Amino acid sequence: MTTTRLTRHDRSMLRLMNDRRALPLYATATRRRLVVATHVTLTAAIVALIGYFCLARAEPVWSAAVAAVLMLPWMVATGVINGATRGLMELREHVLDERQSAERRRVLARAHRLMTWLLLGSVVGLLAAGAADDDALRVYAAPVLVAVLTLHWLLPLWVAGLAAQDEPGDDEATALQG
Amino acid sequence: MSEQVHNRLAMVRAERKVSRQSLAEAVGAHYQTIGYIERGQYNPSLDLALKIAKFFDLPVEALFSLEPFRPLTDEVYGRKQS
Repeated sequence: MTTTRLTRHDRSMLRLMNDRRALPLYATATRRRLVVATHVTLTAAIVALIGYFCLARAEPVWSAAVAAVLMLPWMVATGVINGATRGLMELREHVLDERQSAERRRVLARAHRLMTWLLLGSVVGLLAAGAADDDALRVYAAPVLVAVLTLHWLLPLWVAGLAAQDEPGDDEATALQG
Repeated sequence: MSEQVHNRLAMVRAERKVSRQSLAEAVGAHYQTIGYIERGQYNPSLDLALKIAKFFDLPVEALFSLEPFRPLTDEVYGRKQS
């Protein structure tokens, strides 16, 4: 949090991200891991369903409907991760304090490293599939690109959710004499 | 790379009956950051350390030190360090 004036939007987002009503859902590392795993699963399901809807010749409406239904728990899981990280990836930079800004940079760097390996894996996989079957590149290029784009968008949130720490307790004795 | 900075923040805050939230608001930090500083899990910048010291109207070295603080009772009653 800098001395820059916060806009009404900043203040409302700050309040929202620091709302502790969902604290029991992300109070421990195990619960946070569970929420992130749920979010990853829901994201994969939604992307697969939308991909199927777009690529299938018959345009199956059921897949779009199921994806729309899954969006609700996906949004709840997104909110829980944002609550666990106190909006680390959602709030604007000038709303964060110095520790949070440093933490965000660490999370982005870790996500970037991970993303580089995932991109490398995707390229190698695509090229290998293309070498084995001439049509594979044409068939798999679009789904792989969509998957990679989704990962690029959401990986920092997942990394932040997994890196979030427990709330500092009110145990004054631990720090009394430094 | 960073060295452990010891602090007496929790003790001073408790003594002055200041909540983490109100200290955080006064110095422009998140209340969790105050908790992490108290637990020694985060070393504040010079800017933040000075703001905290100013809030309590204390010299910064009364709150933060590179050396572990002596227990206050030793300082008050003059017991020599072994």
